Amino acid sequence: MKYHVFTRHRAGDDMIHAGTVQADSDRLARIYAHRTYDEEDWEFMGVVREEHLLEVDEQPIVGGRAR
Amino acid sequence: MSAEAENAWPEAAVDYVKAIADTKLLLGQRYGEWMLKGPNLEDDISGASNAQDEIGQVRQLFRLLTQQGVEDDWLESSRSAEEYANASILDEEAENWPTFIVQVALADRAAWLLLDAIVHDDFTGMVQKMGEDEYFHLEHHDARLETLAEDQPEAVEAALERYFPGILAFIGPSSYGSSEDPLVSAGFTDRSVAEIRGAFHEHYEELFAGTDVSVPPLEEDVPDPEAWDETRRRSGEGHVEPSVVEQLQGISNQEYVIE
Repeated sequence: MKYHVFTRHRAGDDMIHAGTVQADSDRLARIYAHRTYDEEDWEFMGVVREEHLLEVDEQPIVGGRAR
Repeated sequence: MSAEAENAWPEAAVDYVKAIADTKLLLGQRYGEWMLKGPNLEDDISGASNAQDEIGQVRQLFRLLTQQGVEDDWLESSRSAEEYANASILDEEAENWPTFIVQVALADRAAWLLLDAIVHDDFTGMVQKMGEDEYFHLEHHDARLETLAEDQPEAVEAALERYFPGILAFIGPSSYGSSEDPLVSAGFTDRSVAEIRGAFHEHYEELFAGTDVSVPPLEEDVPDPEAWDETRRRSGEGHVEPSVVEQLQGISNQEYVIE
């Protein structure tokens, strides 16, 4: 599975997309992210499974005619 | 009493720390080998980080050992393979990935439990810092073992059976309960070998609960106290390959040592 790694320097900062890791489980993804992207003194680091990202795109209007 | 004598460890404690340090030295070697052959780039990076952590910890432990009168040259570069006191399960390179993960997982966790039991003032702060490194090693192993238990339970179980006697010998004999363990009696550690064995075994029983992997039983007579070598924390005469000792001691590149 592909996971996206997000970090921030200080509380309140916007998240930075640091990169990605491939992992077989959430537990492994946390370790891989730390090992791969911990060169800086992050206040926060988190991982999100790619499949959990919600795509923001144009959708057909409910009740209308599909174009 | 001089300050030096006042701070002297019991003799058994010097052997205990030497065995932990040598196990970490060999872990550094095995992690270094791993960083070149892990199944994913992420595993390679972790192998490299783990190797670096272990070698850093060895430096600190060797420094304390030299303060206790152990010769620095002997520790670093003039020992024979038979004089290393590493956990015997690290003597040989594992032949495949599941075996390798079991090998380093058992050795790293056992070394950590022995280190974490030390309460002597010389280790205050240092063990806590080492624990920050070790969290990521042990968490990585367990996460990997969880997925391997799903995918290749026979390979994991075979490696556990192969390495359990050796790692129990490294932790120590079951006869070292809280009243019998000489280092607990001396106040150097506050957790007996028998208690550490129980915690170690329980951890893997919990980790593999609900999987097809059976953890070997905690055999009371392994190691046999009569055959157990307290200095090298093993039974028998085995040792790491001389070619690995050459790498550990930097023999082939000795002419480039910066004086």
